[in-house]
Amino acid sequence: MAETMQPMDQRELMTLQHYLKEYGQQAEIFISQLEMLENGRMEAHAAIEALEGMMATEDGVVLLQIGAGASVRAKILEPDKVMLAIGAEVVVERKNKDAVEFLKERIMEMEASQKKVTETLNRLRSQMNEIEKRLEAGYQQSVAAVQE
Amino acid sequence: MFGGLKEKLQAARGRLGSSIQTVITVPSGDGTGGAGQEPATEMEKTAVPPKTPAQPTIVDKFKVLLIERELIVSEKDVADALAELELTLLESDVALPATDAIIAHVRKSLVGKHRKLGESVDSLVVGALRSALLDVLGKGFDLLEYIRTHPRPVRILFTGVNGTGKTTTVAKIGSYLKKEGFSVVIGAGDTYRAGAIEQIGVHAERLGIKIIQHPEGGDPSAVLFDTVQYAQSHKIDVVLADTAGRFHNKSNLMSQLDKIRRVMKPDLVVYVDEAVAGNDAVIRASEFDKTIGADAVILTKADMDSRGGAAISIAHTIGKPLMFIGTGQSYDDIAPFEPALVVEELLGDA
Repeated sequence: MAETMQPMDQRELMTLQHYLKEYGQQAEIFISQLEMLENGRMEAHAAIEALEGMMATEDGVVLLQIGAGASVRAKILEPDKVMLAIGAEVVVERKNKDAVEFLKERIMEMEASQKKVTETLNRLRSQMNEIEKRLEAGYQQSVAAVQE
Repeated sequence: MFGGLKEKLQAARGRLGSSIQTVITVPSGDGTGGAGQEPATEMEKTAVPPKTPAQPTIVDKFKVLLIERELIVSEKDVADALAELELTLLESDVALPATDAIIAHVRKSLVGKHRKLGESVDSLVVGALRSALLDVLGKGFDLLEYIRTHPRPVRILFTGVNGTGKTTTVAKIGSYLKKEGFSVVIGAGDTYRAGAIEQIGVHAERLGIKIIQHPEGGDPSAVLFDTVQYAQSHKIDVVLADTAGRFHNKSNLMSQLDKIRRVMKPDLVVYVDEAVAGNDAVIRASEFDKTIGADAVILTKADMDSRGGAAISIAHTIGKPLMFIGTGQSYDDIAPFEPALVVEELLGDA
């Protein structure tokens, strides 16, 4: 295979390096999107846990985190009424159970999006692997040519 | 593309249809519903506010039903289904003004509508949804027609925030225009981001498109001025001007963009953002339009957006047409935004 390969010139090597760099930048964007989706998914899971926990407590007292690791005891006046941002910057009041359902649907949506982004990322990575192989072969050829 | 929204719209369409189809009783003369009368299928609900002039009276309904063999859809018939449709659209990140417009349009289309016995409820509902969506989506923007009907070179300036795929979009548009037979030159106006000049240079080389570049850190206005000069002297059809991504609240970067606009005098300022940003994209587009102006919008990464909120709302909310949507990684993954096709896709049977 190596014998049949046409030697690469410097220009071609540079172009491949550019491709690799560009794909790398695109991959970074997709990785950051995946992180955002994962954060959103975890946040929704935490919210579901909190909503269900609120309904389970008898006195409605919860620990309210106020930042920097500090928490205070707070009493939820209406644990069955939840203000929920449903999208388009619109907040609606929902029953606790309905809010949990909504969040579960959102999690499913985010998981579907994660799947799509991951597929695209895998495609990019496979293209990057191909380019890396070609670059490696090109370098080997250059080294061999210099040694001859 | 927009699979989640399509699914939700299908459900909303079903709910609207079934609320119109509901089996109801024949109204009595006092308008309270006839006690003791047998339920009749496909008859009109009766509780219509009598003081609303647009609402048909009971007599009208009977006349229509008995003599003309038609049914009238009342506001009450569709109120619940419309409220659900409203939530469905908001949950899909369709901006509030666009949602309101869609609901108002569907209500106007359906309420008071005469439906002939035997006519499909579904076609009635789909017709109302289709016309509401088309109304909100606007007419799109035919770039090819624009280029054909304007003096050359047509100068197009691309703006937007960082990381939304602006440079790749410039390359995709270049490829699209080249395939349509236009000559193109790209101005590498993103002199700020490390590697941006190289990136657009590689794209241009791959596509066989002339590119005008200055060293990194140079004045983008100068690069784009030179690009326009080159296009004029070489009788190039279209100048595609890439710029650095920026946020609308960075006043120094926005004034730089204003300078670029004064120097290169673009025929079109195109705002580029990603569809997955949802309502944020709509808000940012609106801010850009207020600050620097925008003639059209391009949304990238639409293939990853199942909600479709930005694509549905952006034209209506900022009053500027959606020109293209990006749907993937390769140069061909860009399509002119055609509202009729999108609506067919959303409302077509799965």
